[in-house]
Amino acid sequence: MAEETKTEPRQKTSSVKSTESAGKIRHIVKRMYKKAQQAKEEHKKIAYCMVMCNYEEILEAMDVVQVYTENYAGLCAVKREAEQYMQKAQAAGYSDVLCGYAQVGIGFDAWRHELGAMPPDAPDGGMPDPDMLLGCSMGCDPRWKWYQALGRYKDTPIYNMEVLMPPSDADFAAIKPYYVRYMAEELRGLIAFLEEQTGKKMDYDLLMSIVKQVEETRLWWRKAYDLRKAIPCPMSTQDHFVIFVPHHMLLTDSMTLDFYKGLYDELKQRVDNKIGVLDEEKYRLLWGVGLPPWHSMYILDYFLTFGAVFAAETAYMIPEPFDIPPDITDPVELIALRAYERNSALQRRGKEAGGVPPLAQAHLERIRDFSIDGMVMHVTRSCRAATMGQIFTRNVIRDSYPQLPVMFMESDIIDLHSYSEAETKNQIDTFMEMVGAYKKSQR
Amino acid sequence: MAKIALRGLTRARELYEHREARAKELAKKGRKVIGYFCSYTPVELFTALDLVPYRIQGKVGKPVEKAGQYLESIVCPYVRSCFDLALGGEYDFLSGAVIPHTCDAMHRVYDIWAYYLKPPFSHSLYVPHMTHPASYEFFMKEIEYLKRNLELFVERTASEEDLLKAIELHNRNRALLRELYQMRQPDPPLISGTEIMWVLVAGMTIPVQEFNELLEETIKEVRSRRPKSEGKPRLLISGSEVDDDDLVRLIEESGADVVMDDLCTGSRSFWQDVDTSKGAIVGLAERYLGVTCPRTYRPGKAPQRFSYLGDFIRDWNVQGVILYTIRFCDTYQLDAPEMKDYVESLKLPVLYLEDTYITSPIGQWKTRVEAFLETIETRRE
Repeated sequence: MAEETKTEPRQKTSSVKSTESAGKIRHIVKRMYKKAQQAKEEHKKIAYCMVMCNYEEILEAMDVVQVYTENYAGLCAVKREAEQYMQKAQAAGYSDVLCGYAQVGIGFDAWRHELGAMPPDAPDGGMPDPDMLLGCSMGCDPRWKWYQALGRYKDTPIYNMEVLMPPSDADFAAIKPYYVRYMAEELRGLIAFLEEQTGKKMDYDLLMSIVKQVEETRLWWRKAYDLRKAIPCPMSTQDHFVIFVPHHMLLTDSMTLDFYKGLYDELKQRVDNKIGVLDEEKYRLLWGVGLPPWHSMYILDYFLTFGAVFAAETAYMIPEPFDIPPDITDPVELIALRAYERNSALQRRGKEAGGVPPLAQAHLERIRDFSIDGMVMHVTRSCRAATMGQIFTRNVIRDSYPQLPVMFMESDIIDLHSYSEAETKNQIDTFMEMVGAYKKSQR
Repeated sequence: MAKIALRGLTRARELYEHREARAKELAKKGRKVIGYFCSYTPVELFTALDLVPYRIQGKVGKPVEKAGQYLESIVCPYVRSCFDLALGGEYDFLSGAVIPHTCDAMHRVYDIWAYYLKPPFSHSLYVPHMTHPASYEFFMKEIEYLKRNLELFVERTASEEDLLKAIELHNRNRALLRELYQMRQPDPPLISGTEIMWVLVAGMTIPVQEFNELLEETIKEVRSRRPKSEGKPRLLISGSEVDDDDLVRLIEESGADVVMDDLCTGSRSFWQDVDTSKGAIVGLAERYLGVTCPRTYRPGKAPQRFSYLGDFIRDWNVQGVILYTIRFCDTYQLDAPEMKDYVESLKLPVLYLEDTYITSPIGQWKTRVEAFLETIETRRE
């Protein structure tokens, strides 16, 4: 059955990594799915989750095993195994332009429902059947709507949670109290739901200690990330697009803090010894907003052949810095405040900068801080949320950097149909000529 | 020669065809007209502050000219069309825009709209996606925040009494619309789906007081009708934004009666009243968060979530359902298969149409609609 629906031969799609830390990730991912499958066998509670919903610490404190479904779709795309699941979703009536992650996830569970068992040859053994579905509103609509759609195939309990993204021009002093209050109530609702599902009570002291450890983890990741400002750049976006995995999917795992400390040590050593991604770094690029083309990550390596390194990106960003206020003792209040502060930070800085939209603000900061010579934005057909606003962002950036070359690369996060390698390479050739001319003009 | 004032459906059609005319006229006279999107904007606030609500619409079939320089081609085509019209100056008469954070496209277009069009007033209203008790509390605060910003803009305040008066006017409007919709229940219906479309679109462009007058005239006119051609297939159309009569006209010219809808521009925008027993703001929050668009999470399985559709189908004696989605609308497209399952569980046929809005494939649909109507005829036999 699996062989009938597969249309793409399996091939290596990954990119070249420059750090040892990045080299550890494949093993970590395999272990993550294996542990989740074992947990299922041991009758532990499994939750389907979305990244960056601010509930990781709560799930850890309640001993709920987290399975990140968007990222499983990404894994399927990396392994060129996504098509079979997308076809299942489309056969079940879902549009071929629906979010690619959702298509894969719905197709996967539709197939599991049809077979009454794990789909055959599922990458890394597949996602275990969940005991609960935990969506959230931050990022895009499919991140909660997808789990509701799974109601066609399973009766799994759902808790969809609001995570607010304040408007860019808000009166932040006026909205903050009720934005934080709503977030706290949503988190309390989640805890009540989890207590019901697991039969356990929340240990708030444990939760507080997990929150503190998570913030320490983020501090180390940020310290490591900032080292990429160095010239030559010690780590590329190719590495970043796997380095984010422990933070986004294993945030509360005991090894994650050590992983980012190790990353910091490795990058520090590289910076101190002026070891860059390339021996001769000619250009520094920014991977602008747009999730990666998981199906063909090696295309990023083509930029290296021009002496160009992706020194920064605005996808899978590190959360904004957050100092834990010493007077807050309720971890739920703390997580709610943290979500507000982080989700409004770019808006507030953009407003202070005279009305710069938040997405443009994020790009402008990186162009300035990481000495950027050109920017690539990935137009992803099935991910409107990460695509809408790219042209706008480019236009706003031009006010500050009128000549900065920008390339719009068209493909998708999952679906190969809208991607042409030959055309993309031609486009890169032209773009790199522009970057060369720009760099020359800046000297 | 003195111009004869148009009334009832003739007036509705005139407003439908020149939908910005009346709002422009009012703007010229010094009234402030505020553009808004979606069925989630509590327009009672505008009325209470003597602002004219104007629902921003696109133009089906009109190619995008300028918006391509600002919005990606894979963005919701309805939003692209609206923004294109605005860039072309067609909404220059608006004094402001309220864009609710309802879906991804609406959320993201807000910054772009405010940045390029620079309306004297702009506001992003966060509409919760969830319907937990705290969601209603939050939405009340958001409505109060919108009210405060509108008050700062017009430099006057709206009292509770002002709000209650405005709500009364809008509730009256909803009651009149429901009365008109009841005239679609007989076989044959007293008013066609195409005519309903004219009335609905007209109403989005004028002050509520004028819309109420228009509805009273229309109801009187329609009530006196004695239509004869009974027995046509009776359809319900469910979807998002339909602000053009092309599709409904096509269906009706193909030999069916569109007798009910579940559209953002139709029943979804007026079916529920605002209950003011707990105060104006509480009433507005409860009413608007109760709008049944797929962008709001409502727990439960399909029979529970779509039971209102089942009620429409029963009460309007519907024999077939057309599910209409605009391409790239994730929220609707994630609901559509389950909605189709639900309607089919009621033993009704379903036709699923995905539209590109800007280049509506109306010609291609004719064949599909005709085949669908044949299916219904066969079942009826």
